[in-house]
Amino acid sequence: MMQRVHITGVGVVSSIGMGRAEFFRALAEGKSGISPIESFDAQPLGREYAGEVKNFHPKDHLTAPEVRRMGRCSAMTLAAARMAVEDAAIAPELLRGTRTAVVIGTTMGEAGVIADLDHGWIARGPKGLRRALLPKYGSTLLPIHVARAVGAAGMVLTLPAACAAGNYAIGFGADLIRSGRADVVVAGAVELIQELEFSGFVRLAAMAPSRCQPFDLNRQGLILGEGAGIVLLESEAHAGRRRGAKLQAEVGGYGMSCDAYHITRPHPEATGSIAAMRRALESSGVGPGDVDFVNAHGTGTRANDLAEAKVMREVFGSRRVPISSVKSTLGHCMGAASALEAIACVMTLENGLYPPTMGYETPDPECDLEVVANRARHGKADIVLNNSLAFGGYNAVTCFARPGVLPPPRERPRSFANAQSPLVQT
Amino acid sequence: MTPRALTGLGIVSTVGTGRAEFLRAMASPRLVREAPKGPVAAFDASPYPGVFVAEVPGFDASRYLGDKGLRTLDRLTKLMIVSARLALHDGGLKKDGLFVQSSAEQAGIVCSNAYGSLEAIAELDRVAILEDARYINPAKFPNTVSNSASGYVSIWEDLRALNVAVSDGNCGALDAVACADIYLETGRADVLLVGGAEALSEGLFLAFHRLGALGAGTDGSGTLGEGSALFVMEPLEHAAARGATVLAEIVGYGTAFLPPPGEALLFRASAEALERAIASALADAGAVAADVDVVASSVSGMHAFDDEELAAIGRAVGPAVAVAAPKAIFGETLGAGGAMGMAAIIAWMGGATPTPLVRGLPPARVRTALVTSMGFYGNASAVVMRSRS
Repeated sequence: MMQRVHITGVGVVSSIGMGRAEFFRALAEGKSGISPIESFDAQPLGREYAGEVKNFHPKDHLTAPEVRRMGRCSAMTLAAARMAVEDAAIAPELLRGTRTAVVIGTTMGEAGVIADLDHGWIARGPKGLRRALLPKYGSTLLPIHVARAVGAAGMVLTLPAACAAGNYAIGFGADLIRSGRADVVVAGAVELIQELEFSGFVRLAAMAPSRCQPFDLNRQGLILGEGAGIVLLESEAHAGRRRGAKLQAEVGGYGMSCDAYHITRPHPEATGSIAAMRRALESSGVGPGDVDFVNAHGTGTRANDLAEAKVMREVFGSRRVPISSVKSTLGHCMGAASALEAIACVMTLENGLYPPTMGYETPDPECDLEVVANRARHGKADIVLNNSLAFGGYNAVTCFARPGVLPPPRERPRSFANAQSPLVQT
Repeated sequence: MTPRALTGLGIVSTVGTGRAEFLRAMASPRLVREAPKGPVAAFDASPYPGVFVAEVPGFDASRYLGDKGLRTLDRLTKLMIVSARLALHDGGLKKDGLFVQSSAEQAGIVCSNAYGSLEAIAELDRVAILEDARYINPAKFPNTVSNSASGYVSIWEDLRALNVAVSDGNCGALDAVACADIYLETGRADVLLVGGAEALSEGLFLAFHRLGALGAGTDGSGTLGEGSALFVMEPLEHAAARGATVLAEIVGYGTAFLPPPGEALLFRASAEALERAIASALADAGAVAADVDVVASSVSGMHAFDDEELAAIGRAVGPAVAVAAPKAIFGETLGAGGAMGMAAIIAWMGGATPTPLVRGLPPARVRTALVTSMGFYGNASAVVMRSRS
């Protein structure tokens, strides 16, 4: 029998707050984390705003040896993982052993360490490459540091799925549990704002001057953000066996696809994105009529917004499902985005509250959507979707639900009747 | 696990490109022994006299992909696209560039790569540091993102069911196999390209050079390599339904992580982790140690790691089993390593003698084989393969 999977703990490092309570409160208030960048001089690039995490101090969350042996990206991951474990009120011994896995998504991983390595090398030649930094730079380290800290001895996996990485990690983590391969998975994603990445988005002419206004007619592009969002995924049976477990949200199915169209732009017809959302519904055993709210990818670029509006029209028809983008307050946290947004979905399910899309002033007639504008709104929240699109044409949509609402997960019989012919498409 | 069929192989390696050329080379001890470990062409190696790499000799993507659209692609992306194209054709899914079996909607890719984005990051950092960040080439910016190469594979080869990049260092290619198994099991795709790719670049080379991890000799020890190996992997029933030739079956997977004691640094080889990974892979396959005819190990000439790996294999499979070191042929290909080991096993199952052996005697034939990967951080993974005959 397939296991139901639940989120039983959440951990957050973000520009609008640390941990569950601060993050949920800030989301409900529409508090913005977007401010002038302090970690490097962005002014010459002509853009200087981002959702930078200003008050993250690794030593507040990590031991002194941990602080010494890891970069900022790993430190954020571990801090958020610790918060998720604490939020889950799980006894440490229940996390130790081979039945616990760690799956972390990212876009660039330890971008700051790589930049420091490159600076030494390029400025001073091969001998300038700082040897002491090398044990800190591999993307593999993100789940490894977490596994070491919590005693997980099962699969340690890094999924670099760009701006859909959080959904990839949480979806795969849920698969590990549903199929019986693990009981507990620490899953989520992380990203840093780093000068090169920031410059790249400026050069792609995708960045707004100071505000991110998803779905607004006068949108000016995206604003970068950073942070880490980690959830503790647990099988229903495992959570049921221990004291103090609270089922915060059930992780339903998820859907993936690839546009196979352009490395940075979404497909103008959003065919891949539509397929991913339909697969998320199908694999959760629900239909479009069951969805109460969609947490948008909502980057605030015209290409994204138009593609997402198409997805909503195609999947939900004339039904106007409320949709909102927390990127209006967090900025686009890239790899971490869909993980932080998954945690925003938990807030929506727990409190029946849709977080607002701030800065929504002039509706775009080409994005005729039921945007939750400028103020959080109470509403039915039994089943919600978390949409994401990413570099590489990656699409991933996860489904979260109030525990007890979804039908039990089941294996779906496969037919390979069309294996021989490319013309039959399902 | 449910056994999965491997029905196609697209490979770009030090000893050959494409399955036929690769198998011919692997059957020739001379070719294998003399695998090129010459001076470097992939980057300017003049600051590093006397150090060798295992490069794909004369790699020219335009031979396989045409001339158009290659200018902004990095070396990793080109290696990956070429091997993907070769795999799709070798597996009978495509003919003359078009799907003739299955379809774009039902086909996807799960590909491991450890350090591919370093080349582009270094290139853009060079511009930003020596000139101005405002001059970085936006067309090359996507290459700084870790999943960019596999994203390009989908664009070039039209793979739409899913696209998953795995970045797990040396264990990545075997972990990609485990991911692909789950994606097939959950019906997210009917058929997947799975494997790994790694490309040589100066930044990657320099990092290993500074760690003192590279040998300076031409004996294949501690030689950094590159290449791409992608397999067509699908449910057995899917392979049967389309009448595909099965090269081998994947029948088991195991992985484990054991941290170093106390507050020690993370760089470490854990024999115990690999031992556990092998035991769980064998159990997953419903096999016992005595079934294993040969091990395609990740022994690479980095002695601290090799000793632990051989100890683990000895304990989990027995002291007499034949252990080969394919990395002496392909170099240390990191994120591609496990996939290169799997490709070597296909050759051995077809009759080529497993070589070079670091332990044991050549088996009379190879029916059940184990691939092992030691991670750099106390993680380890293993895969069990079985031949059809």
